[in-house]
Amino acid sequence: MAKIEEVKAMVEAGKAKLVPGLVQEALDEGSAAKDILQAMVDSMGVVGDKFSTGEIFVPEMLMAAKAMAKGVDILKPLMAGDTSTSLGTCIIGTVAGDLHDIGKNLVSMMIESAGFTMVDLGVDVPHEKWAEAIKENQNVTLVACSGLLTTTMPALKDAVKTVKDSGLTGFKVLVGGAPVTQQFANEIGADGFAPDAGSAAVKAVELVKA
Amino acid sequence: MALTQRENFEIMIKGGKPEFAPLLYELYKACMLATNNTDQPWKGGVDPFGINWVATVEGVIPEPGKILFDDIADWKKYVRFPDIDSLGIEQMAQMELADFTDEKRKEQPVAVFNVCGLFERMAALMGFENTLCALIEDPDSCNEFFEAMADYKIACLNRYIDIYKPDVIIYFDDLATARGMFMSPKTYRELIKPHHKRIVEAVTSRGVIFSQHTCGKCEDILEDYVEMGVRIWNSAQVCNDLDGILTKYHGRLLVEGGWDTSGPASYMGAPVEAIIEETKRCAEQYGKKGNFILFPVIMNEKGNAFMTGDERIPALMKTWHEVNKL
Repeated sequence: MAKIEEVKAMVEAGKAKLVPGLVQEALDEGSAAKDILQAMVDSMGVVGDKFSTGEIFVPEMLMAAKAMAKGVDILKPLMAGDTSTSLGTCIIGTVAGDLHDIGKNLVSMMIESAGFTMVDLGVDVPHEKWAEAIKENQNVTLVACSGLLTTTMPALKDAVKTVKDSGLTGFKVLVGGAPVTQQFANEIGADGFAPDAGSAAVKAVELVKA
Repeated sequence: MALTQRENFEIMIKGGKPEFAPLLYELYKACMLATNNTDQPWKGGVDPFGINWVATVEGVIPEPGKILFDDIADWKKYVRFPDIDSLGIEQMAQMELADFTDEKRKEQPVAVFNVCGLFERMAALMGFENTLCALIEDPDSCNEFFEAMADYKIACLNRYIDIYKPDVIIYFDDLATARGMFMSPKTYRELIKPHHKRIVEAVTSRGVIFSQHTCGKCEDILEDYVEMGVRIWNSAQVCNDLDGILTKYHGRLLVEGGWDTSGPASYMGAPVEAIIEETKRCAEQYGKKGNFILFPVIMNEKGNAFMTGDERIPALMKTWHEVNKL
């Protein structure tokens, strides 16, 4: 099944214009939609690793994510209703008082590429909104809180506490952002920490499958 | 201290051994109002290009979710360069230099800020993600945009130099994150550097020192900065190998920063003890190198203490003066 390998290569290379055609060719060749999806997820795993090691940079990662998104558009009609490949819903946002979104958006793309359905609460998310979003969405398996500023680290702590004290279950809490460390994540009761978008996707899968 | 800030700074710029390592709060007569009009309103509001800036505790950012265009190929339809004569640069200079006598100028170098550099401006106009993708998808249009924006920057900087007669221009463009550059060094060198270089040379050709403000882990392009004629790197953060950089570039680059901006001394409401400890660390680790200027980052509810003032600054200054740095 050579086409599926080409799909993988072109997602990694960020060739958004080529991927939809190649996905269709892979389908025509007889590859199952979920196998093609998994191939693209695997590609994004490689992209994430390369980003984490500094081999590629944000533009290359964004282009790869775009390429995958274009490929997923072709597969969606064929996979409607099939949740077997989904890792669940991830609620993501930047905490209260913080308006930065680039890091959160990158993490969101990578976590989505890993197989999650994303619900993005945006920036400056009030504490109470996290629990509301968990209640309002189905099959929430992950809550990802982002904080870029040292001044909003208390808000990150409060967001995690609000979620943990809500009584809601079935999900893990992942935190990240420039001033966040593993130690801080442990202190505030988060289930996981990731230093960058690439490793965030890996950690997300690890937390949910544990 | 026997030397004035100016005398000590001039020794450092020439690569000599200074009498003391300066503290940014004391070193410059810092002039920030002109760039408020030419680039980015410090307290929020709409800039000359139509971008609305929102004030946060840590500074202004473009209003989230609002962009002027999403395809760099369309930039000419949306970007209008203002008439430099209409931006009130002269009035800003009059306000800032009203009490700055010739005598004071003999003692203290004048540094004029110019914010929102080439990359940041593109990101303000079309959003970060679109900008980063554009660098790969449409380098030709990016090149056209950067060329035109560099022309605008050069026109503004030449006017600043005419009116303020500064010793230093501090040009801001954050090209990096805490973990590394936004784009590959190769992309920076191919797309941004040629225009960045023109901006640097426009300033240095007029005998003014060029200080490049770049936050984040940008050590991979410091050699490029030095090669272009940058003499000061501002906001040198600890995610870089500052020890190695201070040694490697001694005589060629002054390093202005050192403060752990993600550490406890930069937390909101950090105790004065944490600030004293961080000041001592910077003095002991970097001060003796001879090409270091301390740039603390202390946050309070009004913002960055450099702009707002803070009751903990006297303790910081006392500690800095007391520690034997050289």
